Amino acid sequence: MKKKALSLLLASTMVVSLAACGGNNDASNDSASTSSGTTSSDNSGSSSSDSSSSGDSASGEYVLTDVKIMVNGTVNSVKQETEAQQTNRDAFIPQLEAAVGEAIGHEINIEFEVASHSDYAGYVGRMFVSEQYPDVMIMSADMLKQYESTGLLWDMADAYANAEFQSRLQLPGINENLKDSQGHLYGFAPTYGNGCVTYVKQAWLDNLGINGDDIKTYDDFYNMLVRFSTEDPDGNGIDGDTYGFISAGLIGSEAPWINYVAEFWQGAYPSILQGEDGVWYDGFQTDEAKEALLRLQKAYKEGVIDPDSFTAGTKDAREKWFGAEQSGSAGVFTYWAGTWYQNLANNLEKNGVDNEVYELAPIAEITNTFGGYLNREAPVWVILDDGDGDDSREQAIFTAILDTMLDGDKVQTLWTYGPEGIAWSTEAEEFSLYPDDPDKRKDYSYQDGEFHMRPGLEDPNILAVKNHLDPALTISPLTNGYVSSTDLQDISNKFFTDHCVDAPSSPSSDTYSERSAEIIDARDVVIAEVVVNGGDVDAAMQKYVSDVGSLVDQILEELNSAE
Amino acid sequence: MSNKNTTTTASGIQIRRKPLGLRIWNNRGHYIMFLPVFIFVLILNYWPMLGIRYAFMEYKAGGSPSWTGLTHFERMFSTSAFWSAFGNTLVLSIVKLFLTTFASVIVSVFLNEMGNLFVKKTLQTIIYLPHFMSWAVVASIFTLILSPSSTGMINGMLRDLGILGPNDSSIYFLADSKMWRPIFYLINIWKDTGWGTIIFLATLSGISPELYEAADIDGATRLQKIRFVTLPALANTIITVLILNLAKVMNLFESVFVLYNSAVYDVSDVIGTYIYRQTFMVARPDYGYSTAVGLFRSIVGCILVLICNKASNKVRGRGIV
Repeated sequence: MKKKALSLLLASTMVVSLAACGGNNDASNDSASTSSGTTSSDNSGSSSSDSSSSGDSASGEYVLTDVKIMVNGTVNSVKQETEAQQTNRDAFIPQLEAAVGEAIGHEINIEFEVASHSDYAGYVGRMFVSEQYPDVMIMSADMLKQYESTGLLWDMADAYANAEFQSRLQLPGINENLKDSQGHLYGFAPTYGNGCVTYVKQAWLDNLGINGDDIKTYDDFYNMLVRFSTEDPDGNGIDGDTYGFISAGLIGSEAPWINYVAEFWQGAYPSILQGEDGVWYDGFQTDEAKEALLRLQKAYKEGVIDPDSFTAGTKDAREKWFGAEQSGSAGVFTYWAGTWYQNLANNLEKNGVDNEVYELAPIAEITNTFGGYLNREAPVWVILDDGDGDDSREQAIFTAILDTMLDGDKVQTLWTYGPEGIAWSTEAEEFSLYPDDPDKRKDYSYQDGEFHMRPGLEDPNILAVKNHLDPALTISPLTNGYVSSTDLQDISNKFFTDHCVDAPSSPSSDTYSERSAEIIDARDVVIAEVVVNGGDVDAAMQKYVSDVGSLVDQILEELNSAE
Repeated sequence: MSNKNTTTTASGIQIRRKPLGLRIWNNRGHYIMFLPVFIFVLILNYWPMLGIRYAFMEYKAGGSPSWTGLTHFERMFSTSAFWSAFGNTLVLSIVKLFLTTFASVIVSVFLNEMGNLFVKKTLQTIIYLPHFMSWAVVASIFTLILSPSSTGMINGMLRDLGILGPNDSSIYFLADSKMWRPIFYLINIWKDTGWGTIIFLATLSGISPELYEAADIDGATRLQKIRFVTLPALANTIITVLILNLAKVMNLFESVFVLYNSAVYDVSDVIGTYIYRQTFMVARPDYGYSTAVGLFRSIVGCILVLICNKASNKVRGRGIV
């Protein structure tokens, strides 16, 4: 009897524990379904939760009460990896809900899901195949191209045309260019894409008596790199313990592939792109690409490029460039314009290195081919189509989230700078950065009503960074006068816009979206073989053609037949 | 002689079997206890296996799965990168297994011979430590040490020793196809040898001291005692460890992923990293293809397990499954 009682007790314990697990899942599923509509992958499914829990369209106008947003690492105020980030998030979301609620006239619950930044495309793919859809989300331009033909995304052309922000739009071309040939608009870009500028340490130029303005051609550029790597630009008394150039990879991991190494690639574009005649071709199989590989090979062999560049990530390259130990560092680093110009200078200063940075104008070989530094295709916001044939919910999402994002006032300020009272304030206050370091100390004093950024929570010696929208890049500016860009940011943004051209469009074909990794693998092997191992460029290209030539041809055929 | 309804006891008496329903009822306590486990296994171990069907489907985000037959397998078998990854998986895993096992045995024997208990325990702790470091940290450390730039420690030492001249280029250890595998094995030995010694030290502690005393009486030297007492006592354990680990050779991923790069794909790319790139480095992957490659890997792994089971039966007299 005792045994039976014990067995029953154990069995019921296990059943209860299993039920508890299941119960948790049920709870989370319920929560997901009430906070966001289910979206059918084939556009035919129902989204019962849309009308039952998120609003009512019977009266004609959909009342959106819950919305689920999925973002990558570009929305700083919703990250939650550190205590400081969690504090920011806890303040930001209620403020955003209140501001959006005020704008749309009723309460709204906003749920953010932050996906891994480095594996965002993979994460989105996994979510979609398991039919877990947010209501609205960020996509890179490349992702947009692969998903716009799937029927998953809502065509927001009409909503965009009637948006409240239209009257303040300063860069209408950005979203007009995102429309397909039929005029459909599946992604909305609140900013332009931005791009990279080549930065040179001014102190190194000065130490070697080089005038940055004299660097006009590739030969000038290369000679500067040679001097940086053979002489003593950091002034530590040792010749040749520095490098000319460092980059995060010899080719980027996403379009526009060449922007970290622009001077070496020049007019070559190592990917599938569309020619001026409208015909798609493989830019990696051109003579320009071969010449670029030989330039990289020479620079690598002569020790002008830091060899760590081959495997360095962006963080590795950045930190080596602005690190406290300048021996082993490089003089030239190509990185993002605008905010990053300020960040690089801040980090140099933080590490006790001269923080004056020279922005190098595109060399002649770049301006004569592409026309300037490449402005990448802008990341976009997309709305998932619930497939019920009724656009009222999607329109409501557009109005609540995307239209208000550029309202010029409260909501846009939150998307731009983060939570009020934490990242920024308009109240009178005084504070100091580096209060204990007399050399670096900076004092700030603000009157009541004066907009200003506050010391960051992560590092109280640096002012809080922007949240998501870069005020200098936005297509519709703030109208409340809340401007917080530094001189360096302004200089860099102007410099970039004066010297940039739009990057080539990413291709969109079924085979490309599914098998591009094979082409990228083969291309990366060629670059490694030629540049790092000093191999023969023709032989390496031949291998590329034999490995993926037929696959590239198939993609080109798809692209050109679709035109 | 027994039929469906009778059974024979150990003493040879034939008795009539009770009906199944009655047997279940009589053991209902056990069955009730087993039921949750059964459901648990079904849900967590067998339900996910239904995903195997995707290997025969086109399964992309934004579209319903559709049957494509053996298309993915045709693509897989006609791709040279796949076969290269398959070969690398076997070579890297098996060589790594033998080297780390060999190193663990040697270190265990040396530790066992140590008389000073404090030094022995300290050394044991030191050699266990690398096992607890994540592969990402290990890779960062070795990438810095082996860096080809002027800050790289090994290249700096080679220059200081005059092995590399002032005009010689630095050696890019992790981007050289000839050097990558030896370095990979060395790093694995450094990381896993200590952990591998645990089971061998346990075996060594179980060897009867009488055997060593007998060897002493026979006038055996220290080396002879190792050769004729210690190693034979370890032999069965070594074979067991090898067999058990051989079944896992297809699972290689993390250690390669953090150390490889495109310059050494030909010697380093394994099936795990190949699947990763084909799935997560494209904007809209076909998970059907990834599943097909994964299924192939599982089948090969399954065959290896069966071979190991057979080998285990032969060597130890009992299987591993």
